[in-house]
Amino acid sequence: METQTKTIFSSQNMGKLLGAAALTFLGAFAVYHLLHDGLLPLAGMISAIVIFLVLILVKKSLTPYRWLAVGLVMAFLFTVFPILYTVFLSFTNMSSGHLVTKPQAVERILAQTYKPDHVPTYSWEAYQNTSGEWLLLVFDQDNKAFDVRPGSDLKPIEVPGDPPAAIDGYKLLDPVQKIQKLQALTEVEFGHGSNLITIQDPMTAAAVVPQYQYDEAQNTMTDKSTGLLYTNKGGTYTSSAGDVLIPGYMVGIGTNNYSRFLGNTGYLAPIGEIIIWNIGFSLFSVLISFAIGMAIAQLFENVPGSRLIRALLIIPYPIPVLVSIMIWRGLLNENMGLVTNLLQHIFGSAPHFFTDISWARFAIILINVYLSYPYFFVLATGALKSVPRDIYEAAEIDGASAWMSFRAITLPMVMRILMPLLIASFSFNFNNFTLIWGFNAGLPAMADTVVPMGHTDLMISFIYRLGFSTASAADYGFSAAITVVLFLLVGLMVFFQVRNAKSLKESR
Amino acid sequence: MKTLFKRVVTAALVGTLALTAAVAQVKPLKIWVYDNSRIDALTQIGKDFEAKYKIPVEVSMVDLGQIKSQFLLANGGSDTADIAIIPHDNLGGLVENGVVLPVNLGRKASNFLKPAIDGFMYNGKLYGLPLSVENIGFFRNTTLVPQAPKTWDEVIAIGKKLMAEGKTTQIMGFPDATYNVFPLYTAFGGAIFGKKADGSWDPHKVELNNTGMVKGLSLMVQMVKNKEAPGTIDWDGAHVLFESGKAPFILTGPWAINRFKTAKVPYAISAFPAAKKGGQPGAPFLGVQGMIVSAASKQAALAQAFLTQFMATEKYMNQLYLADHRPSAWKTVNDKADDSDSKGFAEAGTNAIPMPSIPAMGYVWDAWGNAAALAFSGEKTPKEALDTAATQVETQVAAKKK
Repeated sequence: METQTKTIFSSQNMGKLLGAAALTFLGAFAVYHLLHDGLLPLAGMISAIVIFLVLILVKKSLTPYRWLAVGLVMAFLFTVFPILYTVFLSFTNMSSGHLVTKPQAVERILAQTYKPDHVPTYSWEAYQNTSGEWLLLVFDQDNKAFDVRPGSDLKPIEVPGDPPAAIDGYKLLDPVQKIQKLQALTEVEFGHGSNLITIQDPMTAAAVVPQYQYDEAQNTMTDKSTGLLYTNKGGTYTSSAGDVLIPGYMVGIGTNNYSRFLGNTGYLAPIGEIIIWNIGFSLFSVLISFAIGMAIAQLFENVPGSRLIRALLIIPYPIPVLVSIMIWRGLLNENMGLVTNLLQHIFGSAPHFFTDISWARFAIILINVYLSYPYFFVLATGALKSVPRDIYEAAEIDGASAWMSFRAITLPMVMRILMPLLIASFSFNFNNFTLIWGFNAGLPAMADTVVPMGHTDLMISFIYRLGFSTASAADYGFSAAITVVLFLLVGLMVFFQVRNAKSLKESR
Repeated sequence: MKTLFKRVVTAALVGTLALTAAVAQVKPLKIWVYDNSRIDALTQIGKDFEAKYKIPVEVSMVDLGQIKSQFLLANGGSDTADIAIIPHDNLGGLVENGVVLPVNLGRKASNFLKPAIDGFMYNGKLYGLPLSVENIGFFRNTTLVPQAPKTWDEVIAIGKKLMAEGKTTQIMGFPDATYNVFPLYTAFGGAIFGKKADGSWDPHKVELNNTGMVKGLSLMVQMVKNKEAPGTIDWDGAHVLFESGKAPFILTGPWAINRFKTAKVPYAISAFPAAKKGGQPGAPFLGVQGMIVSAASKQAALAQAFLTQFMATEKYMNQLYLADHRPSAWKTVNDKADDSDSKGFAEAGTNAIPMPSIPAMGYVWDAWGNAAALAFSGEKTPKEALDTAATQVETQVAAKKK
């Protein structure tokens, strides 16, 4: 018994327990604040993480997880949580005007005040005594002066000329002090009962009252200045006449975001076109850049000066992608681009790389190949080195041609190493936002679409335009719904690719 | 391990305490600026404020997109500024989310240009202190065109003549088919939104496809078809055409002046041509830049006082004007700008329309730009293209309403 107590309260255990207590405390603090702001999903995630951390700290059998703790927490916070949160968002109306949670919206609405018509506005001077108490000297429209202190009535007072330097031991604030103490002054309520005067700004003070009354049970707001009732309509307090209170809040709207585009051919047809182009773009980009990279690696494997040539060929790689895209934009410019002018001189006409759909797509794949072949070239060079020389010698003795040994030996051997990278590259290109947005932002435009879309839009650039490029009118819930569908699509594709790649490996 | 853990916990606790202590100090007023031309002037003004009131002012440069997302999404985390400068067309999105506070200028409002004040009005309340105004101007190459044309017919006649004489290759390039060339649409009666009874923009009255807009776009398409204007919308390309003397006209803003001066092209800025003789000149959009106060600010009253009592004075408005010479929103400072460029822009902007700041404007740009591109390529007629654009805006406004 004694030994057990000893171990529980040993300094080592004390450290653990203290740590666990501190974690729990910090976690509870964070969760409390998040819940206060109505951020339920994040609060849930943080709670789960804190529980996990406390468990691995105190439970001996979970000790090995301590080594993984940081990585796991990061993965949950920055990968799992965003995915779950996007799914969550896709079932809400989160968009401009509905960005905040209900408690936040209610708080903001209740903070709004108004001045009833019969209530006068005053200009003011403030006084403070040595113990920090305030006195306000207010002047109404007729320049009649009143002395008003927190908790007492307005008291008429004679002020013949300038405001007196002191009243009852309270000293007048000079204009500089007035500004310095303004923030504190605005938080003081002068007067009492129904006649509370607050300072509005450096010039005016008035008895303002909260404009809205909140009925929590009915979830309604009443405008006290007009008597209008605002009921909750999809996260917005709306009057019967259709007037709305600012701001609205985030509510669940079921599958509305999904049905908005899944049940609407106006969306589906162009989105279908975008998906097909998206797949084609990724596929061609990867295959062509791989082929070129591979060919160069093979050709320059053993020629004199190959090191220098390799160094030169890698140049596109370290240049920032956006810079390369800008340069290409200039080269292909339809009115004054170097490439277009050259083609114009030689052939008498030049392709419209920005306004013609096919040429725009061609240009985008061309640029992407230019940007990514060095990557495959480097990879292939490395992979080629790993193929044992003696196999080639054996093939040569058996009379295989160079092409045959490439097809039967090099390619399969290299593929085994590169396949996962090709898949990764495909997935990367599927969401290659930088290229599209930097080159032509998805143009040329599609005709007759429900929302603006372009012929070279990838799903990601389309979603970005919908959700973010017009921040003042952003529609996050809808964008999230499309993102979820896209995520499932890419997920499925990658799943099948990886499965096929595995079978490829097993069959060898 | 154990001691390390203890140390980390202790350090964290000490850090938290230190932070709390720091917060208790006088909090500086934080101002975010999205372009660097004003940072020095504002920092200087901030120092004056600190000298007078012992309250430090912290001016920092923050990307406009970042300013908006911090105001909208961070819900006033402690890092968010008390004051930010924004172009007024972003105001609606911020007001509709309740993240900016009204500003009471009182009688001082009369010291500001009326359209500048209008730019920062929303739902009948003033939400910012306007600092500067800007609008597009009508530029002509004075060697090629000594007299400013008064109508679009004249513009085209002069342009055609110059092309026939072999002096130029185009009438003009279009920097875009929307914002920059808006005066071309308005000359014929174009508009984006209709107005409500109280004079504010009504997102449910989309005018994007009204007859004036169609006429304006048709005129541009006509030029493209006749090979008198490039069919690709290309901001740089249009400016290069003007700089190199290959096109005698361009519609662009103050930001282009430096490059025209560098290119040594002789230019003058004048009012926009009208649809016909004696008609109203085309009206550009007016952009107003101004300071707003964050609703999440812990010292909002002080921030408002900084705007209304301190910034809103001739001295500091002038100081800000001298920093980058953007036409001031303060009348008497605005009058001081008497160089020919400023006068030209002022002339072009006499009837300028403050750009609608309602959030629905966010739906307009892409729809409108795409419509123009489809009309330029001949895939759609101007009417069809603009009809689609109007429907796109209406669809998104309606979807938002649900």
